[in-house]
Amino acid sequence: MGSIIERMHPQTLRFTALLAVLFLVILFFGTQIDNYYNARLFNRISTSVAIIALLAAAQALVVLTRNIDLSVGSIVGATAFLVGHLLANNPGMSPILAVLIALAAGGLLGAVNGVLVAYGQVPAIIVTLGTLAIYRSMLVQFSGAKSITTNTLPDWLLEMPRTDVLSFGNLDLRLTVVITLGVVIALHIFLMRFRLGRKFYAVGSNPEAAVVAGIDSQKVVFLAFVMCGALSGLAGFMFLAKFGNITVVAGLGLELKSVAAVVVGGTNIFGGRGTVIGVLIGAILVDLIDTSLVRWDLISEFWRDGMLGLLILLAVGADAVLMQHLEKIRQQKAQLKHARLMKAKIRPNRAEV
Amino acid sequence: MDNTAVSPVLEMRGISKNFAMTAALTDLSIKLYPGEIHGLVGENGAGKSTLIKIMTGVYAASSGEILIDGEPVTISSTQVAQKLGVAAVYQEPMVFPDLDIAENIFISHHNLGPVMNWRALYKDARNIVEQLGVSLDVERAASGLTLAEQQTVEIARALSLKVRILIMDEPTASLSAHEVRQLIEIANTLRKQGTSILYISHRLEEIFEISDRVTVLRDGKHISTNAIGAVTRGKLIGDMVGRELDEFFGRVPSQATDHTLISVRNLSKADVFTDIHFDVRSGEILCFAGLIGARRTDVALALFGIAPADSGEIVFDGNPVRIGDPQQAMDLGISYVSEDRRKFGLAMAMPIFANISLATLRRYLNRFGLIDRQGENAAAEKYRKQLNIRTPSVEVDVGKLSGGNQQKVMLGKWLNANPRLLIVDEPTRGIDVGAKAEVHQIIRELAKSGVAVIVISSDLPEVLSIADRIVVMREGRQMGIIDGDIATQESVMSLATQFDDSKSAPQPQLV
Amino acid sequence: MPSSSKLAGALRSYFGGWELFLLAILIVTIIANAAISPFFLTIGNQINLFQLSIEKIIVALIMTLIIINGEIDLSVASMMGLAAVTFGWGFQQGFPMPIVIALVFLVGLAGGAFNAFWITKVGIPSLVVTLAMLIGFRGLARVLVEDRGITDFPEWFDALGQQPILGPFPLSILIFFALLIILIVVLQFSGFGRKVYVIGNNKDVAAFSGINVGRVKAILFMAAGVISALAGLLYAARVGAVRGDVALGFELDIITMVLLGGVSIFGGSGSLFGALLSILIVLNLRNGMALANVTGHVQTGVIGMLLILSVLLPNIRAYFGNLYAGRKRLKQRDGKRA
Repeated sequence: MGSIIERMHPQTLRFTALLAVLFLVILFFGTQIDNYYNARLFNRISTSVAIIALLAAAQALVVLTRNIDLSVGSIVGATAFLVGHLLANNPGMSPILAVLIALAAGGLLGAVNGVLVAYGQVPAIIVTLGTLAIYRSMLVQFSGAKSITTNTLPDWLLEMPRTDVLSFGNLDLRLTVVITLGVVIALHIFLMRFRLGRKFYAVGSNPEAAVVAGIDSQKVVFLAFVMCGALSGLAGFMFLAKFGNITVVAGLGLELKSVAAVVVGGTNIFGGRGTVIGVLIGAILVDLIDTSLVRWDLISEFWRDGMLGLLILLAVGADAVLMQHLEKIRQQKAQLKHARLMKAKIRPNRAEV
Repeated sequence: MDNTAVSPVLEMRGISKNFAMTAALTDLSIKLYPGEIHGLVGENGAGKSTLIKIMTGVYAASSGEILIDGEPVTISSTQVAQKLGVAAVYQEPMVFPDLDIAENIFISHHNLGPVMNWRALYKDARNIVEQLGVSLDVERAASGLTLAEQQTVEIARALSLKVRILIMDEPTASLSAHEVRQLIEIANTLRKQGTSILYISHRLEEIFEISDRVTVLRDGKHISTNAIGAVTRGKLIGDMVGRELDEFFGRVPSQATDHTLISVRNLSKADVFTDIHFDVRSGEILCFAGLIGARRTDVALALFGIAPADSGEIVFDGNPVRIGDPQQAMDLGISYVSEDRRKFGLAMAMPIFANISLATLRRYLNRFGLIDRQGENAAAEKYRKQLNIRTPSVEVDVGKLSGGNQQKVMLGKWLNANPRLLIVDEPTRGIDVGAKAEVHQIIRELAKSGVAVIVISSDLPEVLSIADRIVVMREGRQMGIIDGDIATQESVMSLATQFDDSKSAPQPQLV
Repeated sequence: MPSSSKLAGALRSYFGGWELFLLAILIVTIIANAAISPFFLTIGNQINLFQLSIEKIIVALIMTLIIINGEIDLSVASMMGLAAVTFGWGFQQGFPMPIVIALVFLVGLAGGAFNAFWITKVGIPSLVVTLAMLIGFRGLARVLVEDRGITDFPEWFDALGQQPILGPFPLSILIFFALLIILIVVLQFSGFGRKVYVIGNNKDVAAFSGINVGRVKAILFMAAGVISALAGLLYAARVGAVRGDVALGFELDIITMVLLGGVSIFGGSGSLFGALLSILIVLNLRNGMALANVTGHVQTGVIGMLLILSVLLPNIRAYFGNLYAGRKRLKQRDGKRA
């Protein structure tokens, strides 16, 4: 067992550990909550996780390049409002067009972040702290502080969150879940199999070396922000479909939740390391605990946020300690190997002091 | 080597480069021929780095032209440089710790199509690594590689690009002797394959060993280019410093007193070093020699309390002591001058005075914990004079000084602690010949004033010139102690290495 | 005018270019506001504008030290909420007031120590630790009061938050200025302050110089906890009621104030003078916009824009400066050739 763990790629190990934790959490709540394993709960969690998982995957793209996007919550709010507004005024608009508008609007806002970070050389945390406020204030200006309400939206949109793609008995695979899964898989392939995707890791892993290696870091960072913005726009569209009512505070606080899921999912906050599949599991874990605590009778549901904070610390703390330990074992082994390779011919002779 | 028959692969004509106020390069011309190793030497600030950065497209020249195969080219970025077949390997390698070695090697290939073919990538990477004659698992992540291994990855990267002009910037500055041999072999292999190498080094022995021609820069100007057989060491140094320097490697009689300041017995730290055993007397200079990975720095870190040893005894000034953190070491009168100015030595964005007082801040605090700025300035001015730190004022940020002057500020910082035992780690790495002589002088004067000095150095001529006694280490073990007066390169190296002769001293390739 | 240029030179050498730039913005803001509204320059309005954001600007002072130290604390606003709610809870339980207030400070200290433990002992980046505790402290606050509001505090307590106690100044403003002076002395003139800068510059260099890096960081985070708790108390006194969402989202405003003040997000540089100027700008700008009937969200947007511009403009200037220098050199060279 020990040797298997040592030989595993750290990324694989991290992923396995996450899955194990997720499994244990499910087992634990199964013993605590009556009728925990039922289809309704699965359906509820899977639909509620769809938005945060999408947003976390978007955030991960930016975090991988050693940046951060704190404006995603505002982008969600702004696009949800924009699309809702357009749909309310043009009820005949096709769903495809609505989605495209959400992607484009989000991508545009992301591009503004990207230009400022990549070409304006302003640290991402400053840019997106600023645009977090700016996008929100644009939303307020544009809406005139009025809300979008469910009754102004077309039926197909409101039914979308309940649309099933596949059903196994009572187990429904909802459309929003499928979209999120599709996006995550596509991003995973992009990051693992495409040269451009690898550059996201390279830029985050060592920005200076990336320049020397002839990687156009600015383009990569810009692209990361555009993709993050566009996917946040898509999340905004789902947000609109799920809640129907959009006020000026829509999406508030999602930026920190998305960062939390990214970190729990094993992504290094300083870039270069992590996978979107891990981030997906991280988002599920965060949301599962959140949803399950509501139904756990033993403690008040108000413990949810307290537990979430602790979970983030434990996840990251365990990762840090485990990886340090592993690295040490590996180095010792490498040294042993090295020593064996260079087997002594001259016997060491202890000289007098 | 007869160069008149072939045309240069790269030629730079009348290159100048100005920064805001100063001229880094003035009207510089240089030619590189196919299959030659061209040594480039000069003091720090002579313009070598600027020249490399212009060749690799990091900087644009202010004026002048670059020709490749006789055609004028504009090298506007590193990508363009790579396309033209120009790449560089730096002293501090640029690897991506989170990527596989194979990916690291092929990271600069931008025309392999949008989709990764991992299997082919690993295969090609293995081929290149084999070509270099080293063993590296190309599927492992690059984090945790040694400096030498990282450099190998960089050379493999350059090789994969089929470079025709490879620039090696101080590649051996932090390598062990064995690793240097390996690197030189690699360079010779490349030369045979027709690659031109611009080889930059402070170590003149290496320049003499491998280069075909050598160019000297001084103050941004071209001073001389000669076939290696046509110059002497003295001539090169003279060209570099603009004056003849004689005998700065000469030995001075030991100043050691009879008073044993520190005795170290059976010092061990699990998996790091075992059974370290030595004395240092006041006024003595004890050098630690050995290859990289000999764990000399770790012994120093244990004595200074940064990474304390697990077992063993330290007797300081007759009293057994435990040193658990740097403050305790400093209270005893131990100072440690780190090998890495940038990482561990100086706060680069802070002024000279703040760095000089950094380790002894307590001395400048009044009873309310407020800093005595005048006292700080006085100390800084004292060391500015004593160590000949060249700066307009002690308020200047340390990062703006030259490497040699930074080294002196770092020495000043630790001298200010009035050490009884001074440990200096690689005191002259990467600083120019003139500053090196000054640093040696400072160390000798300290010893003369009764300070016990431990010098860790990978520069053997330096060790042989300043050491009263030499502790030789290998892979965490103490191999022996040699008297400085009788030590030779051979006697130190035979203790420090354990490779058989055929491996440790490959015959230089004849071209 | 030689004397004014000399003055400008002296100012620049003392403050650096950044603070001068902020000073200019501040003066423009004040003049514009004074032109819009005759009430703007009255002492009553100035005190009012301080008081409305007093909790944020008090925390911004310690945040300045933390960011200069190369760290960040996202959990301050949640700690303010937790402290305010702890106060409300203790009051409701009927504990004597001194004990309740002591308990609040203890919570602040413990929260800061908890952050410090994960940052200095486990070695997790402060961005992650305090993000977790942003959620965690807020969660604890919600556990304490659930979705209730607590009000009807003793009159003397509310008065402390609202009534002037020295001339026209209420307690909170006096606390702010006292803290400002103390922290300026600590940061700019004390050995501890020097350590804060050095660690922000390069914490390995600090450790190799015998500085106990962990202790400095721990002190800062515990101070942030205690000062946030104090700010939470002041909030409870000023508003006269607490709920689980006290100070929600304040952390971003606070960090914006500090960064706008020219403190480097990477640590090692910046000053409280800059932070103070930036605080004054934010307060006056918001006040002016409020007088001109601009809503709160849009005010925040304008400040966000200012934050970005504050870093972007120097970058653009440097970029064009290089272009200009390059062109000038070309001209010189052409001139030489001709």
